[in-house]
Amino acid sequence: MNFNCPMTRRQSLKKILQLSGGAALAGFTGAPAFSSASSPSTADRKFLIEAVGRTEGYPVKELVRQTFDAAGGIGRFVPKASVVAVKPNLSWARAPQFAATTHPEVLKALVELCQEAGAKEVRIVDHTIHDARQCFALSGAGMVAKETGADLVFPRSTLMRDMKIGGSRLDSWAVFTPVLEADVLINLPIAKHHSLSTLTLGMKNWIGAVGGSRWSLHQDIHQTIVDLAQFFKPTVTLIDAVRIMTANGPSGGSTADVETKNTLILSNDPVAADAVGAALFGRKPEEIGFIRLAQKQGLGTYDLAKLDQKKVSV
Amino acid sequence: MKARHLVWIRRVTQSLFLGLFLLLLAESRLPQDVYLDYARAFSGEADLRLEAPVTFFFRMDPLVALTTLLSGGPLIKGFLWAAGVLALTILMGRVFCGFICPFGSLHHAAGWIKPSLKGERMLAANRKTPSQRIKYFLLFGFLVSAIIGLNLAGLLDPIAFLFRSIALAVVPAAGNGLRSVFEAMAASDYKIIQLLSYGGEVLVAPVFGYNPQAYQTGGFIGLLFLVVLFLNRIRPRFWCRVLCPLGALLGICSRFTLLRLEKDVEKCSSCNLCTKHCQGAASPKPDAAWETSECHMCFNCFNVCPEDALAFRFRRAPALNRGPDIGRRALLGGLLAGVSLPLFGRLDGRVDKVEDPRLIRPPGALAEVDFLEVCQRCGLCMKVCPTNVINPTLAEAGMSGFWTPRLIMTQGYCEYTCTLCGSVCPTGAIRPISANEKTGRPIKIGSAFLDRGRCLPWSGNAPCIVCQEHCPTSPKAIYLKTERVPRPDGREIIVQLPYVDLKLCVGCGICEYKCPVQGLPAIRTISAGETRSPRNQILL
Repeated sequence: MNFNCPMTRRQSLKKILQLSGGAALAGFTGAPAFSSASSPSTADRKFLIEAVGRTEGYPVKELVRQTFDAAGGIGRFVPKASVVAVKPNLSWARAPQFAATTHPEVLKALVELCQEAGAKEVRIVDHTIHDARQCFALSGAGMVAKETGADLVFPRSTLMRDMKIGGSRLDSWAVFTPVLEADVLINLPIAKHHSLSTLTLGMKNWIGAVGGSRWSLHQDIHQTIVDLAQFFKPTVTLIDAVRIMTANGPSGGSTADVETKNTLILSNDPVAADAVGAALFGRKPEEIGFIRLAQKQGLGTYDLAKLDQKKVSV
Repeated sequence: MKARHLVWIRRVTQSLFLGLFLLLLAESRLPQDVYLDYARAFSGEADLRLEAPVTFFFRMDPLVALTTLLSGGPLIKGFLWAAGVLALTILMGRVFCGFICPFGSLHHAAGWIKPSLKGERMLAANRKTPSQRIKYFLLFGFLVSAIIGLNLAGLLDPIAFLFRSIALAVVPAAGNGLRSVFEAMAASDYKIIQLLSYGGEVLVAPVFGYNPQAYQTGGFIGLLFLVVLFLNRIRPRFWCRVLCPLGALLGICSRFTLLRLEKDVEKCSSCNLCTKHCQGAASPKPDAAWETSECHMCFNCFNVCPEDALAFRFRRAPALNRGPDIGRRALLGGLLAGVSLPLFGRLDGRVDKVEDPRLIRPPGALAEVDFLEVCQRCGLCMKVCPTNVINPTLAEAGMSGFWTPRLIMTQGYCEYTCTLCGSVCPTGAIRPISANEKTGRPIKIGSAFLDRGRCLPWSGNAPCIVCQEHCPTSPKAIYLKTERVPRPDGREIIVQLPYVDLKLCVGCGICEYKCPVQGLPAIRTISAGETRSPRNQILL
């Protein structure tokens, strides 16, 4: 199902025709509603890939490809004919150079890799903070969707559903359903400064996958991040640290706060990924509340020696 | 040309212009294109602009042009269209009313689809009455008022009235109704019904959007619209005959029209069909003189006359056409109203004595005196605003500023780099600014102030940084200081306390909009510090 919008009139007519024809079949295709987006590979041994682009003007796509190759290839995570949901951070209506949103080239490379691996459908999902249309346009995600043919889901109230989160702070909360209705879920955050949670990395990105009165989550930010992180179990987390925002986060708005790192971090352990991300800012993982809490609650580990570590450079 | 053809040409033209009006109204929104080239976004060159000429109908409205010019507003290139309409009227009479005006067409359609009166009663309703002078009274009132410095024409200008009614009442009401249907369907346990709801929402979203819309006084605007439509049941095209100030202006201009109704009294069999079908109550029957200024040029009389006693022909005038029946009372009353309205309107002191803290004008708005001289209260800026923050005023701008735009920050916020409202304003009451000017100069629309008693960290209730997190300026106008504060139970907690740097604050209001303290937020924006006013300042 394509929730993609905005769309042209012609597309929407086509969509309605498909719907009226497809609606009768939809009940029998066996696509499980609200299936948890975990795949068998998450049960495998934990790995951690750190990739750095060293040469001037390195191809971003090549860096993303080699990062996945080091973990056994994208095909290990994205089975043929699967539905992939990619969750970038597109919260703010900011142009890419301000490092407030996931880099469009990384997003594009990941979408293309998933398509090359044979994914049936790749979906870009984010419940933005600013007006979604402006976020999609300015962050470049709209252009990526157009060039790759990925679905860009327009967040709206009909797509939010109250669900059992089962966390220690959040029992139930409105969840942006297209994030969950997929076979593979890839978390694609940007690493940047955040004035309350210190940093925003992979686990904090799930605040962009829920609805409801999100502002009140700030009153216990670290616990709510961990509650959401144990609910959304991504197949892998790919942290975009091509450039990072070091101050005035999360929205920024000045290139003076942006540092180029040319780094990608890939892991199937959300805690380890965030720990390595924190190191880019010169932070120890135990200094960051939600990373410390997540390890304590068994979501993963920042004891990196326990993981298969690999380094890649292009 | 046969009369039958003329009438059909009229109907097709009316439908096309009404359709165009609705299409342009629907296009008055944030561009739907999310596929913006991010290379352009990189260079910061991506100013938001509308491709569709959404101001077209305002540009060709002579009343908008005339009142704007009379009140000292700028000569806008688009006013050439209005000059064209005036020239057309001088040559051919009120063809604008009969062929082009979308509001007129709507009234025409309302009377045509289901006529309320029959036979003798219709005949009586279509006889010219002295009440048709009211529109001249209104026209003179608006013109004189505009000269003195208050532009009220938009309150009853047909284009502004129709745009405001549809954009701020009909569309949001229908959209909210549809949305509740879709939400009920999406909550269903049957996947098929959910999918239908998503698909339906995608289909209607280009017109109704995805988010609920609200406009202050929207209900009143909608009721007024219904009342004006209902008046067609008392007399066909009641609005056009009795109330429309633009109709009055065009009526006066049609004095010299070369296209005339020629009557042949000999042929007339007094069947009264012409009068029964007359849209303007313009005395088409051959035994009376044709009221040039009341005629909408609909050609109905020409079409229905069974005896061919009536015909429209171009004639170089041997004598003047019959003059408009204005009446001395309408003239004097209009002058008196026009003089007194601007002066009485200022008595609440909003223009030159008191600054209303709630009156936050859109970015790029002119200084208040100039603003009231040109704002048409049409609602275009309110329709186009992507966050629904721009609303019609009720009392915030005083009596004379009724329905002018105002930002309500609990309903939305002014997007930092958005300049759509200024780019569509038909009369330049909101200047067309660029994103660079807005953020670079910067253009302030107000200032934010903290209410420490309500603020969660200041009152020791909970940590919170939402206002600082959303602050769009760089460096941020809201900054944090880590302090120990006593909690309600007496223990101390370490929280980050927000402060506002008034020098940096642009008054965008996103802090107020996002503040978790609902209802009356703990940080609020007032108009103080706005760039457009030299007096309403706080800092040196």
